[in-house]
Amino acid sequence: MRKKKTEPMDIVALQVLNSLSYAAVLFLIAAGLSLIFGVMGIVNMAHGSFYALGAYVTAWSVAAAAAALPPAALFVLLPLGAMAVAVVGLAIEPTLLRRFYRRPEEYQLLVTFGLLLVLEDLIRLVWGGAPLTANRLVDSLGLIQVGELPYPVYNLVMIGVGAAAALALWAFVYRTKFGVLLRATAQDRRMAAALGIDVGRIYSLAFGLGCFMAGLAGAIVVPSQAAVLGMGVEVLVVSFVVVVIGGLGSLEGALVGALIVSALRTVTIQFWEEIELAALYLIAAIVLLIRPTGLFGKKA
Amino acid sequence: MDKDLMQERRGFLKQFGATLGAAGLGAAGVGTANAATKPKGSIPAKPVKVGHITFLTGAAELLGGPGQRGHILAQEEINAQGGLLGKRKIETIFADEAAGTDANVKELRRMKLSENIDLFTGVISSGNTPALGPVAEELRVLTLFNDGCTDFLFDKAVPNPKYTFRVTNIQSADGVTAAVGAATHWPKVRKIASIQPDYSYGRNVFEHFVLALGKLLPGIEVVSESWPKLGTTDFTSHITKILSNKPDLLVAGVWGGDYVAFYKQALRYGLFDKMKVATTLAFGGYPHAIGKDHPEGVLAGVHANYHFLYPSAERWPINKGFVERYYRRWKEYPSFESDGAYIALYLYKQAVEKANQLVGGWPEDEAIIAMLEGASIDSPAGYLHIRADNHQGYKDAVTGLSKHLPGYDFPVWDAASIVSIPIRSITAPPDWPKPGQGHNESTAAADWIKKTWPTAKA
Amino acid sequence: MSAPPVPSLVRRAAAAAAVLAALLVVPAVAGTYQTQLLTYGLTLAIAALGFNLLLGYTGLLSFGHSAYFGAGAYAVALMMRYLGVSSMELFMLGGIAFSAAIAALFGIVCVRHTRIFFAILTLALSQVLWTLAYKFFWITGGTDGLRVPFSKVTLLGGLIGFPGADAFEKFITYYYYYVLAAFCVCVTLMWLIVHSPFGKTLQAIRDNETRARFLGVRIWRYRWLAFLVSGIFTGLAGSLWVPLNGLTTPDVLYWPQSGKFVFFAVLGGFRNFTGPMVGAVIFNYLEVYAVAVTEYWQLTLGVILIALVTFLPAGIVGAAARLVDRLKRRRGAAS
Repeated sequence: MRKKKTEPMDIVALQVLNSLSYAAVLFLIAAGLSLIFGVMGIVNMAHGSFYALGAYVTAWSVAAAAAALPPAALFVLLPLGAMAVAVVGLAIEPTLLRRFYRRPEEYQLLVTFGLLLVLEDLIRLVWGGAPLTANRLVDSLGLIQVGELPYPVYNLVMIGVGAAAALALWAFVYRTKFGVLLRATAQDRRMAAALGIDVGRIYSLAFGLGCFMAGLAGAIVVPSQAAVLGMGVEVLVVSFVVVVIGGLGSLEGALVGALIVSALRTVTIQFWEEIELAALYLIAAIVLLIRPTGLFGKKA
Repeated sequence: MDKDLMQERRGFLKQFGATLGAAGLGAAGVGTANAATKPKGSIPAKPVKVGHITFLTGAAELLGGPGQRGHILAQEEINAQGGLLGKRKIETIFADEAAGTDANVKELRRMKLSENIDLFTGVISSGNTPALGPVAEELRVLTLFNDGCTDFLFDKAVPNPKYTFRVTNIQSADGVTAAVGAATHWPKVRKIASIQPDYSYGRNVFEHFVLALGKLLPGIEVVSESWPKLGTTDFTSHITKILSNKPDLLVAGVWGGDYVAFYKQALRYGLFDKMKVATTLAFGGYPHAIGKDHPEGVLAGVHANYHFLYPSAERWPINKGFVERYYRRWKEYPSFESDGAYIALYLYKQAVEKANQLVGGWPEDEAIIAMLEGASIDSPAGYLHIRADNHQGYKDAVTGLSKHLPGYDFPVWDAASIVSIPIRSITAPPDWPKPGQGHNESTAAADWIKKTWPTAKA
Repeated sequence: MSAPPVPSLVRRAAAAAAVLAALLVVPAVAGTYQTQLLTYGLTLAIAALGFNLLLGYTGLLSFGHSAYFGAGAYAVALMMRYLGVSSMELFMLGGIAFSAAIAALFGIVCVRHTRIFFAILTLALSQVLWTLAYKFFWITGGTDGLRVPFSKVTLLGGLIGFPGADAFEKFITYYYYYVLAAFCVCVTLMWLIVHSPFGKTLQAIRDNETRARFLGVRIWRYRWLAFLVSGIFTGLAGSLWVPLNGLTTPDVLYWPQSGKFVFFAVLGGFRNFTGPMVGAVIFNYLEVYAVAVTEYWQLTLGVILIALVTFLPAGIVGAAARLVDRLKRRRGAAS
């Protein structure tokens, strides 16, 4: 059935770009997931739902403002969508999660799983079942030609946002005072507290930042795709695989994991789609067998 | 459209008895609200309890929501006339199909054993009817599925149904209808690409589409297959793969929120400029789920069932009335799921009334079943017939090309492009051997097409 | 956290006998619907019992127990479809063998790790199984699953069968007692296991791995054995569950199913022998009624979940035990 053809270079170029834009989104989600785990020790099952929330808020606000604002101004709504998610995160952390830090993992998994269920239904309650879209942003930037084939400039923006977020996060964690506090808290919560660091505030901000990243992922995805019910749960599993491959708690790991997973996906789709899912979990299992803490994870 | 080409196409369609354009349906229907005859015997005033499981959450809410609204509309209309047989009001318990197959099994048992429902309706997923059909038979609860149209249900899971019926067209008709539609409009296509959701529905569409198209257009070749998992939203890699294989035609069974995400990305990747696209379910969700940016000239499938502008108002007033009432109630246009759920309740009403005329009083299930077997009803979609041998609903299968018309914020069908096929031309006749009875095709329809369809001359 | 005083063995046996007596009369008083719902609950309770050998007694959080539950379920379905087996006893043997084989294999990989890494590893491996069931549809039926109609199942070596159209009520009554018997055997066995030297060693490892290692305990071997036994109990539960459900789909292998087992244990209280079983039965009711009562069942279930883990950290059984304890002490002080 499958005829071997010489792949023209533009197809290769396009697939590389596809892979990168997918990786950008995965990285944003996985980095947030990893950050929250690294600092707070919580595996946030609701992380995918924050991504979905970002997509819905952005699509909704773009639709609401589309008549009033020129397309270029609508881009401001992307970070605003992410900020809205961060605010939700900042509200949830002290009220809901704080009391679970001293409890074992199973409680944290369950409380965030409960949060996932609640957010899924709240999204439907607020926005209903019809998909929300924000294509105006994609169309405002137009297309470029990759060889013979058109490619939306917006997708380059997605890649750019992913890269910029990676850089900003790196600079933030390794080059600012707050980053030092963050890493100190991640390494030893008690010691950090003893040194007078306001651990509670660090936790809040880490969780808010993680939610911001997930929200940003949703915000940049929605113009090129659509906000649909169930998108959060769908992405959770994949981003989990990313984090597992890269190493829980490691930002470099999230980046490398996102690149590996998206490249693997693109290659299997192009050449041998039957194994796409199996390959994903098998790679994760193999990495775990060789390095249980993931490629960049630190020993427990 | 070119006059000669039009002639040629009509000739091509003749072998199926199919029609092109808004023609179809000879006479105007008489309407579902025909003057009721007086009920015989004494009818209790106790409400009739109906259970309805459909997708109320998740990506498939796009299909389940309209189904629920169609059901409620029919219920309200019947109750406004005093209820069934003028006495018994309908009460419905709804439950979410997205809770999962196992939870649906539990819920159907609860509905029957604990809530004592008289009738079970709904169900969208073709993964769920084969699970729930046998449960309905075990519980002896009269069941009118309004979708979940897999051939597998009556081919294998419930080969001798007594209590279970299904009103929508059988699934194999979906792929075949898309093939007939594609062959009608684009007889020159040879290189076929496919993108299907990676589960039984997608495989059914792919198999029957390729099989039927191979008979209609000899020499076709499948050059590309994509199987995205249900719930995929990033299709860019699939789209690029399809482009890389340079097909003439793409057949897409991707549906719901997945289709919305797919077409938006495919549009920006120029896919629609490079090939013809035939879908089975593009217009399957709420009509307004598809945006103004959707390209024209796409074969926009509706599960081979119904789209709200066809049959046209002049030829089929029943549809006009239904669309108006539905719009008034819900401020949106109905989908094929709305039609299915709506007509399922009216079908039940008709069977109850007929049985009452024969036996008097409130009829037993056996009597209602006897009246459902072989029943015909004028539905918004046209004539609907319930075959006695397999309890499957049959109506003319339809599809058409997408077009933007003034007055709608979303694409509808180009009236001149609508292909309507008598269902008997594309499904296995009664008593055709089922899979495992002398053949091992996946469906009776596949075996029938292989054995009886002539291959067109190249 | 002070441990409640251990009631005497006699008192526990009396309580167990009372519960058993109550369970025995359920079909007579509760009707088919409630009986079948409780049958579901009992099969899930067996799974919870197995799950908790790892979480409660060994201190390992598995997020992949769907693998063994699903293995038990698919073993039955595959035996029925490809071998024409109908005997429930053979099904259980097959389910035990299949889940044991998978638990033995996965266990080797997983027991070298603890805490979140153990959880993730079990999760990843269970998802590999899920993918197989999903992708190899020509064998497993894919998302359609494989049917296991109760009418094709026989109990007690073929003595009792359920042919005919109206056999459901009969099946439920018989099958309830069948599952109840299996449940009693499982509870007794697990009780013996956790109170055996083996069980005590597991708890010693859980409480202080370093000390156990210092005392010469071969930790990996003990954990692996616990993993195996845990998988077998859960697999048996899967086998018993299938005829009740009528079919098995890849859903039983998917990660949310594993999440349910965790929920059972935490809901009931995993530091109690009975906690996870009670949690399983209660969760079964919660889920059924949440779906029945509202289309916002996820919201309902989510809020209940959050409330329970927030306000009842010791679980329902743990909280009840503490309450009883406090009442007793107050009465003791008064007298």
